[in-house]
Amino acid sequence: MIDANTKGRMQLLITRIVVYAILIFLTVLCLFSFYMLIINSTRSNGQLQAGFRILPQEHFLDNLKNAWNDASINIPRGMLNSLIVAGSSAILTTYFSALTAYGIHVYNFKGKKFAFTFIMAVMMIPSQVSAVGFIQLCLKLKLTNSFLPLIVPSIAAPVVFFYMKQYLESVLPMEMVEAARVDGSNEFRTFNQIVLPIMKPAIAVQMIFSFVSSWNNYFIPALLLDKAEMKTVPIMIAQLRSADYSKFDMGKVYMFILLAILPVMIVYIILSKAIIKGVTAGSVKG
Amino acid sequence: MKETRTLTKRKGISYAKWGYIFIIPFFVVYICCSLVPQLMTFYYSFFENYRDGLKQVGPNFVGFKNYVTLFSPDNTGNIGILKYFGNTVILWVLGAVPQLVIALLLAVFFTSTRLNIRGQGFFKAVIYMPNLIMAAAFSMLFFTLFSTVGPVNQLLQSSGLADKTIDFFGRTFTVRGMIALMNFLMWFGNTTILLMAGIMGIDQALFESARLDGASAWKVFAKITVPLLMPIMVYVVITAMIGGLQMFDVPQVLTNGNGAPNRTSMTMVMYLNNFLTTSKNYGMAGAVSMVLFIVSGVLGLVVYRTLSKQYKQ
Amino acid sequence: MKKLIALALALVMVLSLGCVAFAAEDAEAEEAEAAEDAEAEEEEEPIIVHDGPEAADEGKVLNIYAWNEEFKGFFDKYYKVPDGVTVNWIITPSDNGAYQQKLDEALLGQESAADDEKVDLFLAEADYILKYTDSDYTQDITAMGVDNFDNAYTYTVQAASDADGVVKGVSFQCCPAAMIYRRSIAKDVLGTDDPAEVQEAVSDWDKFEAVAAQAKDKGYYMTASFASTYRVFSNNVTSPWVDADNNLQFDPQIESWIAQTESFVQNGYTLPTCPGIWDDEANAQMFADGKTMCWFGPAWYFNFNMGNAQDPENGCFGDWAICQGPQAHFWGGTWLLAPAGTDNPTLVADIMNAFINDEDVCAQLIKNEAQFTNNKAVNEAIAEDPDYKNDFLGGQNDVAMFVGMADNIKFENQTIYDQLLNEGLQNNLQDYFKSLGGGEGVDKDTALQNFYNYVNETYPSVITPAA
Repeated sequence: MIDANTKGRMQLLITRIVVYAILIFLTVLCLFSFYMLIINSTRSNGQLQAGFRILPQEHFLDNLKNAWNDASINIPRGMLNSLIVAGSSAILTTYFSALTAYGIHVYNFKGKKFAFTFIMAVMMIPSQVSAVGFIQLCLKLKLTNSFLPLIVPSIAAPVVFFYMKQYLESVLPMEMVEAARVDGSNEFRTFNQIVLPIMKPAIAVQMIFSFVSSWNNYFIPALLLDKAEMKTVPIMIAQLRSADYSKFDMGKVYMFILLAILPVMIVYIILSKAIIKGVTAGSVKG
Repeated sequence: MKETRTLTKRKGISYAKWGYIFIIPFFVVYICCSLVPQLMTFYYSFFENYRDGLKQVGPNFVGFKNYVTLFSPDNTGNIGILKYFGNTVILWVLGAVPQLVIALLLAVFFTSTRLNIRGQGFFKAVIYMPNLIMAAAFSMLFFTLFSTVGPVNQLLQSSGLADKTIDFFGRTFTVRGMIALMNFLMWFGNTTILLMAGIMGIDQALFESARLDGASAWKVFAKITVPLLMPIMVYVVITAMIGGLQMFDVPQVLTNGNGAPNRTSMTMVMYLNNFLTTSKNYGMAGAVSMVLFIVSGVLGLVVYRTLSKQYKQ
Repeated sequence: MKKLIALALALVMVLSLGCVAFAAEDAEAEEAEAAEDAEAEEEEEPIIVHDGPEAADEGKVLNIYAWNEEFKGFFDKYYKVPDGVTVNWIITPSDNGAYQQKLDEALLGQESAADDEKVDLFLAEADYILKYTDSDYTQDITAMGVDNFDNAYTYTVQAASDADGVVKGVSFQCCPAAMIYRRSIAKDVLGTDDPAEVQEAVSDWDKFEAVAAQAKDKGYYMTASFASTYRVFSNNVTSPWVDADNNLQFDPQIESWIAQTESFVQNGYTLPTCPGIWDDEANAQMFADGKTMCWFGPAWYFNFNMGNAQDPENGCFGDWAICQGPQAHFWGGTWLLAPAGTDNPTLVADIMNAFINDEDVCAQLIKNEAQFTNNKAVNEAIAEDPDYKNDFLGGQNDVAMFVGMADNIKFENQTIYDQLLNEGLQNNLQDYFKSLGGGEGVDKDTALQNFYNYVNETYPSVITPAA
């Protein structure tokens, strides 16, 4: 009896060690490149050439100054542009997805089933496949080098809609809507003042996800924005890959990359718990 | 559809119009920004329409010529679009299989009461983090780290693990490996968390009775966990597939659009992008888009069916 | 677990703050030094700035399109636009044709653009200048008041002219290119670093290859990348990339480059893994511990691409020299073109005149910026000035060397497709060359087919060879 118990405990111990080893390995794998990024952003071009270093050196501010003031890659401007695009998209996408979800969830109307089926069916069609027509449309409407074509389409986001619909099903008591009606609240007000606050957690999570995906979006913006003062961060980062920039100062290049991912990282470090919870909350019924 | 209590009428008032009002913005925008462009893309695929220097050629109607060109073999017998489709699939599989295996493993670890892993919050936060990184920045970072004069080569050489420079960007295996690794890193945390939710949704009594019956951990995993996780796994796999079909940022930035070596890391969307830059060849780009549309349409149908099946339960 | 994350975050922050503090001290000290240096220099030789003309009835915004900051640096330093005029630089890198795309869109929209949005001046390279000069999107600059080309090199004027000889722009550089070599390595390999003697040793391609073998024996590379000598060949072609019927064709010079690169890679005369002239690996060879002897480039190359050689910590400033090399050639050059429809014609014309005919500006471009200008009189005066020496080149008078080469430059056989055909060929053949160097790769036919596929995607109107 005691033997079996010890054996079991030994087994558990070994399993635990293996499991922790795997976890630590994966953690290192995840963090290594970012660690290198941070370290290398503190080193001058010459130091970077001199070899691999595990500890930071003293050129962080120089690199920051060089990157921030670079005339051809205007990273502060890019960050502002990305902020405008990603911020507006996040707001529009969550609000209108919630609105659409509410419309389909609460009301009974002709074509409701079709509307729902339609959204579900197009959920998986990537935006790239309509890019050709979309660009043509923007050219015809003189909307290239405008943020509108990057922001407005976010109103129709089937995936966010699906999430909101799932969430509404689990949290919205019909009685509440009815009570509001008794009080004479109009439907629109009911949605804005009663339903939206209930949906706050879902909205917060989706806002973060939409913000991040819009902040990181590259394909369509790269095809639509070519004015320097309109470029978003990913376009600038992709430019680093081209010869005219990468050859001078690798310290500056690392700093550009760091600046590109920093805002999202800061948000993540503050909100990681909520974000991770949000991943599962509405995506699929577990 | 799930039965929900819907309010149709109250005191004789019909609220149906509100349903329309609330969903109109979505549909108007969808039609303008996706449906119409999709139809335009289809229409353009039958035209010769490109830029030659500063001159515009076309649009001239050419019927199915663009599609024929797309599926014609070149002098070495390769059919470009099939090769790039193959690349896309390979790159996806290389990233997705380890992603799924590791994620499943981690999900089991994290949910096991017996193992009682400490620091779960930390590990979860770390493994999910790469998902939020800008793919363009992440691959630019990999490009600098793995360049012939980058830190990885410096490290390998100074530690004696390699005696000469390793050309990570000159080999099919390493380039595909890097792309797969990045996709793996960006997605395995996300998948882990989804699968964890799935496992926690399984009735704990099942595990309990299995343990009382003396079933081994492996048996519990194979006979209970995996079968019951099937629906969510299907969901994860298919959404990942559709994500894989769109693969662009990572290989594009990593190889500067060349898909080097020998175009073995050129994906479908990179190919599409080639027609959209200098030549503004909307005809050929339209044809490539329609092929992509058909493939993602088929995949989308599968997702829809699995999801709606789940939805009914 | 929030605590752990917070801890990690705090750690990172403390770390970076530490660096910041560190760097701040350093930066302050450096800045103070730099300021002193600058003051000292300025006292010795004040910068002479060309004042732009006031033109009351013209636009107040000058939009200049460029693909890098080289010209911007010179412009900011030596040219002063009249008060009230704002200069907008629209800079797009040229890689993968991005600059051309950007410029094309702007020029195609020029007519409908608001005055302050119009392109007023744009820069173009030899590889694609034809596309713009041979179009209605550029205008005759002689009509704008740029008509004195007495001191300009003929090829620069010819390059900026359309088929009928109408001049549409000027170049502020003349770009005869030389073989640039490391003195210390030349001494080790050839026993001399004297330009005349080195030139004698590499005066044709066979001799060049023989020296490459010697260099290899001593543990050096002759060139740093597959494309190192590409420009020497490609700017001496006797036929254009595309014939009259739009068929893609390979000039014998391009074939020679392929053959030479095959041999160099197989024999280990060049780095086996470095395809491009601009690649980090090639640039790293310019540090003091680099093993490469020869580079090819004109005067602009020194400051534009040899930053690593000038690195204060790991560079090798002064360990360089130039000679003509195996084959005379030119490379690059930046032309300033006048777009049709600019609302600042007076200012644009004055800028062009300043950078080719203002002798003070031109002399400063040579002395302060290591340029070789497009003003014969200034170049020749400095070539004969015993006080002028280029410290980067160990005191050699590079201007004298370039003066001798400049008159022979011919600008011929251009097409509007050159930039991306040149880029595409180098990119697509790299897999083949790497295979010769022991790396993974493809055979020549496959590599060429990849190039043809690239051409088909990039220039649908160009016909590639069928099987």
